[in-house]
Amino acid sequence: MPTPYEPPSTTGPGEHRPVYRLTRPVQGRYLGGVCAGLAEHLGLDVRHVRLAFVLASFAGGAGVAAYLFLWALTPQSLAGTAVPGTHDVAPRRLDNESVRNLVVGLGLLVVGGALFAQQHGVDLRLGVLIPLLTVAGGAVLAWSQLDDAERGRWLTRDLGSAGRRVGWVRPGIGIALATVGVVVLATQGRGLAGLWDVGIAAVAVLAGAALIAAPWGVRLWGDLRAEQSQRIRETERADIAAHLHDSVLQTLALIQRKADDPAEVTRLARAQERELRGWLYAGPRGSQATLASAVMEVAHEVEDLHGLPIELVITGDGPLDVSGAALVRALREALLNAVRHGAAPVSAYVEVGSEGVQAFVRDHGPGFDLDAVPQDRFGVRESILGRMSRHGGSAALRRLEQGTEVFLSLPVTATPSQPDAQPDAQPEGQPEGQPEAQPENEGTR
Amino acid sequence: MPQPTSVQPAPIIRLVLVDDHRMFRSGVKAELDESMQIVGEAEDVDGAIVVVAQTRPDVVLLDVHLPGGNGNGGSDVISGSRGVKAESGEPVRFLALSVSDAAEDVIAVIRAGARGYVTKTINGNDLTSAIRRVADGDAVFSPRLAGFVLDAFGAAAGEVAVVDEELDRLSTREREVMRLIARGYQYKEVAKELFISIKTVETHVSSVLRKLQLSSRHELTAWAVGRRLL
Repeated sequence: MPTPYEPPSTTGPGEHRPVYRLTRPVQGRYLGGVCAGLAEHLGLDVRHVRLAFVLASFAGGAGVAAYLFLWALTPQSLAGTAVPGTHDVAPRRLDNESVRNLVVGLGLLVVGGALFAQQHGVDLRLGVLIPLLTVAGGAVLAWSQLDDAERGRWLTRDLGSAGRRVGWVRPGIGIALATVGVVVLATQGRGLAGLWDVGIAAVAVLAGAALIAAPWGVRLWGDLRAEQSQRIRETERADIAAHLHDSVLQTLALIQRKADDPAEVTRLARAQERELRGWLYAGPRGSQATLASAVMEVAHEVEDLHGLPIELVITGDGPLDVSGAALVRALREALLNAVRHGAAPVSAYVEVGSEGVQAFVRDHGPGFDLDAVPQDRFGVRESILGRMSRHGGSAALRRLEQGTEVFLSLPVTATPSQPDAQPDAQPEGQPEGQPEAQPENEGTR
Repeated sequence: MPQPTSVQPAPIIRLVLVDDHRMFRSGVKAELDESMQIVGEAEDVDGAIVVVAQTRPDVVLLDVHLPGGNGNGGSDVISGSRGVKAESGEPVRFLALSVSDAAEDVIAVIRAGARGYVTKTINGNDLTSAIRRVADGDAVFSPRLAGFVLDAFGAAAGEVAVVDEELDRLSTREREVMRLIARGYQYKEVAKELFISIKTVETHVSSVLRKLQLSSRHELTAWAVGRRLL
């Protein structure tokens, strides 16, 4: 996003450099980050820019003026983007230190300029100028607290204890400076005693004003807070109401209509419970394409198809790569078999560990013999056993005293994982026929 | 979910039901067999503490989410009833029940001192055997809880304690037991699978429960925080 006043690029011809919007970086800055930001924007060495500003400052303070102007109008960059040529600079100065540098530097420049001017016979009316500058300095200091990124934090009071201290030191000093400036301006050469009197008077007036305004201010503040929290509560309430209306109320209506179909009612209730739980306890899990979220999705899908609850336990998580997606599809087939041919309770346990992924699907049905399954049935042999071995894993079937257990295992692969979850479906869909696309197809074993 | 180990003339277990839903309390009452005697009911934290102190039951069936107290639900009942002994002289034991198996509920109530955790979808048989197990001083782990434990102790990632007494990690055996429970095996199936006695399985589970209650393992917290639970 180039700014309209962007000057022609100074980098070599043919060399394409991404143009950065003019911002003030947080990292690698000494004062306000103006020079660093400008260097980044113009593609210049930050040292040259700084030197130019310093030199320009001696030309009647033009550099200082330009710096302040840019500082005030340039937004601070949110992300700490790396600034070319500043990697060797200390990452980030303490704010206090920057402020000190700024104050000392400005002070020296101003004093030097004033002495120079005075020597050449210009009457600067120092009695007025110095207090004015003090006031200005105080104002800058106080307002610098409201530096873009900090403004938000400051206003929302989301500060740590250390941050809170720093947050109030600057405005405090600023206000003190401004007050001193005002007092000095007001006492205009009447000596210390007069200053004292005026100071007392000023404090008295301020205290009186504060006393009068305090109840009003407190009430205003309180009202504002109350209104704010009220609005937040109302928004939350509206959100919850909207969600409940779209989910729970709809399901309840459906359940009433299907009251004579217990299986359907159970299925609806189960699906709704899961949805509600996901909404209430939504965590980082399930938000992106991870193995755990894929497994969860598949288990819920099978639950919905057959209305039989699956006790699913997942430990660990990892990115979903091609072989992981194969495991998930094999797991889906195993779950489908379990709910179709086995009996409740159906348990699934998926462990994503450092050595690989292991998955267990267990039902309490009568069990079956793999050798007795006809050769042309693809369910177990192809979708589970074959698929796992094609992807470098293994699968095994166990008959337990009560029920069957399918065991899927996938070692950690050295190949970089691809976040794409889909490619497995295409090449494998053909030889396996359609058993996966048609869950109603009984007897795919 | 564990089932009754064997048919034996078991002593009658005195039970207190704590749940803020009257419908659920009557449902549980209808499901339990005659070997359980319900001696008291309560519907909030403060009422529960009073009832437990008065009736001194063997087992308290405790809902995790309860009104009153310090706002921590079931955990407040457990801490408020500390030191209360059942009529048999054993400490009063708590079996937590909840509609949700969200980790924060599980971990909080177990660390408060509950001997087990089951969800309200449990059937009558399983609930009976779970209560009996807890009354005997053993622990009741649902598959989900076993999964939490494996996750929290880094056991799924392959961390194993060198010494059994180590609080921050599971021993190899404990890990095997937890994994089998997570796979939906009942205690007797776990015992058969590992060629150990049911009593040994119970010992391992109790030891895991102790670790879960006492471990200061920072991952336990970090893990919960990572899932926005604390």
